[in-house]
Order: sequence, then C-alpha cells, then structure tokens
Amino acid sequence: MSAAAPAPPRGSAPRRAAGGGRVLPFPVTGQELVLVGVVAVLWVVLGLATPAFLSSGSIVPLLVATAPIALIGIGVTVVIISGGIDVSVGSIVLVCAAVAATAMTASGLPLVPVLLLSVAVGGLLGLVNGVLVAYGRVHAIIITFGTLNIFRFVGLQVFGGSTIDGIPPVLAVFGRGEAGRTLGVPHSFLLVAVVAALAWVALRHTAGGRHYYAIGGDAQAARLAGIAVRPRVLLAYVLTGLLTGLAACFVIAQGTSTLAPNVGLGLELSAIAAVVIGGTSITGGRGSVLGTVLGALLVQTVASGIIQLGWPSQLSSLFIGVFIIVAVGVDLLRQRRRRSA
Amino acid sequence: MKRHVSTAAVLAALALGVSACGTGSGGSAPAGDGGASGSSGGGGGDVPSVAFVPKLQGVPYFEAMNTGGQAACEEIGCEWLYQGPVEADAAAQSDVVRSFVQQGVDALVVAPNDPDSISPLLQQAADAGIAVATSDTDAPDSVRQVFVEQASTQGIGEGLTDALMEAMGGSGKYAIVSCGETAQNLNSWIEVQRSYTAEAYPDAEIVDVVYAGEDQARATQLATDLMNANPDLTGLVGECTSSAPGVAQAVRDAGRTGEVFTVGLGTPQAMLPYLEDGSSSAAILWDVEALGYLTAYAGTQLAAGEGFDDLSAVTDTYPDVTYDDATKTLLLGPPLRITADNAGDYDY
Repeated sequence: MSAAAPAPPRGSAPRRAAGGGRVLPFPVTGQELVLVGVVAVLWVVLGLATPAFLSSGSIVPLLVATAPIALIGIGVTVVIISGGIDVSVGSIVLVCAAVAATAMTASGLPLVPVLLLSVAVGGLLGLVNGVLVAYGRVHAIIITFGTLNIFRFVGLQVFGGSTIDGIPPVLAVFGRGEAGRTLGVPHSFLLVAVVAALAWVALRHTAGGRHYYAIGGDAQAARLAGIAVRPRVLLAYVLTGLLTGLAACFVIAQGTSTLAPNVGLGLELSAIAAVVIGGTSITGGRGSVLGTVLGALLVQTVASGIIQLGWPSQLSSLFIGVFIIVAVGVDLLRQRRRRSA
Repeated sequence: MKRHVSTAAVLAALALGVSACGTGSGGSAPAGDGGASGSSGGGGGDVPSVAFVPKLQGVPYFEAMNTGGQAACEEIGCEWLYQGPVEADAAAQSDVVRSFVQQGVDALVVAPNDPDSISPLLQQAADAGIAVATSDTDAPDSVRQVFVEQASTQGIGEGLTDALMEAMGGSGKYAIVSCGETAQNLNSWIEVQRSYTAEAYPDAEIVDVVYAGEDQARATQLATDLMNANPDLTGLVGECTSSAPGVAQAVRDAGRTGEVFTVGLGTPQAMLPYLEDGSSSAAILWDVEALGYLTAYAGTQLAAGEGFDDLSAVTDTYPDVTYDDATKTLLLGPPLRITADNAGDYDY
C-alpha cells in the first residue's frame, strides 16, 4: 500500500491543475455516470411501460421517499470514506423522531424549533459515537452497534410502550402532499440536493475534506503527514448525527399522524446500501456523496417501479441485493487493477 | 491481498451486525416495558402464570391486549407475563418464546409472526409440560390446545369488503396493502376478501396485493405507487394497524380524498384524523382489550387443566364469546366497525 500523501484515491488518471500542483479526481466518477445512465434508462422505460410513472403524482412521492435515505447516506458516506461506519443511524432516527413528535404533540412546538431540536438531538448522539470511535480505539462497527442498541433503548423510553398519536401536520412542508412542494419541487429533496452539493464541494475542494480520503486510505500515514485524525473523525460522526436528525423530521413528514416505536428500524441498512451502490468503497479512502444520492434514488426507483409494473413486491429485495453485490464487485476489481497497474 | 481480506472481514462483520440486529433486538427486549417477566422466575406462586408473546411489543394494538390481560388476571387470579420482540420478526420472537419455556411458565400463549417456525417451539413447550395456545394469529398445524380468535376470519374479511364496497358504490378496482407476507391471519382475511368480493360484488375487482411489513412509511409509498399504477383505482385496504392509516395518508397526500376510498384494520386513535377528514371510510376491528382478557382467561383454564365447556366466567363480561370444539377455537364475537362517530370512545 502506498504511503504518505493525502492524494487522490480515485482509480482513473488524476488531473493536475495548471499552476498550484493540486491533484484532484475527475469531477464525476465512472460509477456516478453509470448510475445516472441506469436511473435515466429506468425512468424512460418505466415511463413507457406504466401509466403514470413520470407524472408528478409519482415522481414527487418518489423523491420525497428518497430524501431521508439520501440525507443520512451523505453523512454515512463521509464516515465510510474516513474508514469507519455508522450502523446506529436507524436508532438515531428513532430517538429524534420520538423527541420531535412528542414536542409537537405535547407542547405544540412550531416548525423551526422542532427542526432545531431534532437536529440538535441527532448531533448530540453523533457526538457520542464520534467521541467513542475517535478516542476509543475500537472499530467503529462495534462502537456503533453498541450505540444502536443503547439509542434504541433511549428512544423506546420516550415512546413509553405506546405510539404517539395525533401528531399535528407541522412538518407537512417536507411531506409528499401539496404543502410539501413549491412549483412542483419537493422541499425535502431540494434540501438533500443543497446538502449534497455542499458536501461534494467540501470533500473535493477543501483541505479538510481531502483529509477524510487520506485518513480512510491509511490513518497512520495521514497522522504522520500532520492531519489531525481524531478531530476529523469525530466531526464525521457529528455531521452524520446532525443530518440524521433532519432526516428524522422527513420520516415523520412522510408517515401518518401516528408515530410507532418501530420507526427507523433497519434504516441503517438502506443508507449503507445507497452508499455502497453509489460507489463508495466500504473499506474507506474512496467515495462520493453524489453517488450516494444516486444510489438512494436507484433503490427507490426500483421499489416504486416494481409496484407500478404490477410485479410482486418481494422482487425489490432481489434487485437491491444484486446492485450491492455488483457495486462491491466493481469496487474490488478496481482495487485489484490499481494495485497491479 | 491483505486489502481483500480486510474488505471481506468488514463485510462479514457488517453482515453479522445486521443479522444480530434482528435477533439481538428480540433478545434485548427487556429494554421495553416487559419488565414483568423478571418476577416470574420459578413461577411457583399459587396462581398460574400465563405468558403472552405478541408479534411485537410497543404498538398500541398489543399494548391494549396487555391491558386486557392484566385486568383479567386481577379478576380471575393469574400472573400475567407480557413480552415480545421489538420488531415483527419470527427469529426474535422465537428467542422470547424460548426464554419463557426455560422459565417454566404454566401457560404460554403466542401470536406467531410465522406459524411454521413457531410450531416446533410450541411442541418443545408442550413437552416441558406447559399449556400452549395461540391468540390473535393461529398456528393451525401446531400442538396448540386452543386458538383465541378475535373475530371469525369470515366476519373480518366480509366486514372489510362490505365497508369498502359501501364507500365505492359496490363496484370498481381496489388493491390491498398487507403487512407481513407470512402472517396467517392477514392471509386468511385476504382469501375471504378475494372470494367474497368475487361472489357478492361481481363488478368489483382486486387488482393487486402488496406487502409493506409493519412499516408505515413503506405502506404509504406502496399505496401511492398503486394509485399511479392503476389510474382507475377507487379503493385501498390497509390490512394491518400500520398500513390502515398509511393508505389513508397516501390518499390524503395525493389530494384524492373522495375519489379513492380506504378501509382498514386500524386502531381507533390512529384512524381518528383520517376518519374525520374522509380519507378513511371505516376501520374494522374488535375490542382489543377484550381479546387480551380472553387470552388470559384461556391460559388460566388450560393451566388448570380445564376445558371450555363452561364459559360463564367470561360471558358475564363478554356475552358474545363462543367455543368451537371441532377447531378448538375460542371466539370473541363479531367485528366492530369503527367510524368517525365512535372512534373517540376507545383510548388505544
């Protein structure tokens, strides 16, 4: 394994900017282009094969359903690039959604404070993960598997063995209904696009962002190169917590006026699936948030497409499984090719 | 090569973590409110211990059964133990059942997520001298001594169909959003809905049946997809307590209240907002607390080695209870139809 430089980890030939000697990967990776192509082809085919796939009544709910997975996936992408993983996000959704729903129902909290509350709770839980992973010297999957169970316990205490009924439609601005869109564009997905764009710029064009690739490539080398590894890693988990807190509000918005204690269950798997399908290497060092958003979009497109074609709903599990294995296989091939090159 | 090994290791760890999530959450279920099980220990008190394992705990439906079971045990004298997995997962549920068998309770009543995988466990329990029964959902090919049924399969299937047909005017296309694919009770209701629709409403047609698990957001998205797939769809059925409000929410969000009608098996409090704005026409259910009451009664009778020839202990409180010896079924009575007018009468 090559050592020191926090260099571009992408497979394809790096581009050297004229003067500064900065080395950057291509703006869009091969996997992202493939995903754009696959999603585009699927949308066209489904548009032709079904009565209403490309109508706004279908595309808007599809984008709304994609939003929370994509948003959480953006955070998880940064974590995975840094060589870690966060499997506790589903439980963070549970805690944040429970707190937010209770605040709206019991105290009549309006929109902005609810969002701030949920994001703050998410950030706090992310901080717990971050401190334990960055300073605990135990692999992130163990730490976050532990916090998955602990956070779930905390969330279930908020529920108190019941559901939260009669949630007022405060968060309808992020729902799939009329209140959830402006000029036909769903607010939740718009926010995802903004966050993804910011994360893309930060990961690609700031030193701090590049550091994540270096840490994921070889943490020891990164430390020797003068990167403050622990604070960086800590920040990735806090960021994931904050985004997951916001995603919890999206989840409430697309559910019913009752919140059940199984909210968020298994969401970490959907998020990790989106990340992996998006081309991020599960072993760290390589990846992109655009790929993750596209991965989430592909998964939801397949799930909706199968129903709209009238096929058995179980088929979506099959397709998602195939996508994951193909994506990981392509990643392994790429690594092998780079090493032998 | 080293990198390959580590990749495989991480993926394996991930898979392990994932599968552990399923069972782990069941095993760690004391986190919930099932603390009662701690006291059972030897179960050597002078009253029989009746353990009830719901499909999952923490949802209003099974919590209401828990309330009814506790009330029954206070009245008729039994120790009520209530514990289930935190998700409707057969493996996680099996862990809870196993722990009750090890505790040596007197009677074990299960609402199985998967009848096939629960049967051998019920056999184990029976071998250990525990009285076994099913409630809410049956495991017909098991050794269970009685099935406590909320309402007849026929009654629920026809009740759902009649309520929907009333709203749809007796004709049109509709679809069903069900939950667990292996849930015996849901599947048998769907069978009745199919045959009763074909027979009583020849102008109506079921175009699709899809499965959302116990996930509200997924039920809502599936209902949205179904409306898009079938532009002439005028009805949706939510087959369980998470999909009943889910399909109503989908109709409300699509702005099609009054064009697409929904009914479902929903709990009154969760359905109230949808019944009020018309996105749901009716919910079909039964008195869930009464079902819990009857469950505790059945367990107590079996633990004492008694049969169900004399039902006077329950018919004072619930007069519609009947017992069918041929199918070994204890039936609560006809289903309730819940509308905007009476939903407020129930506090679950």
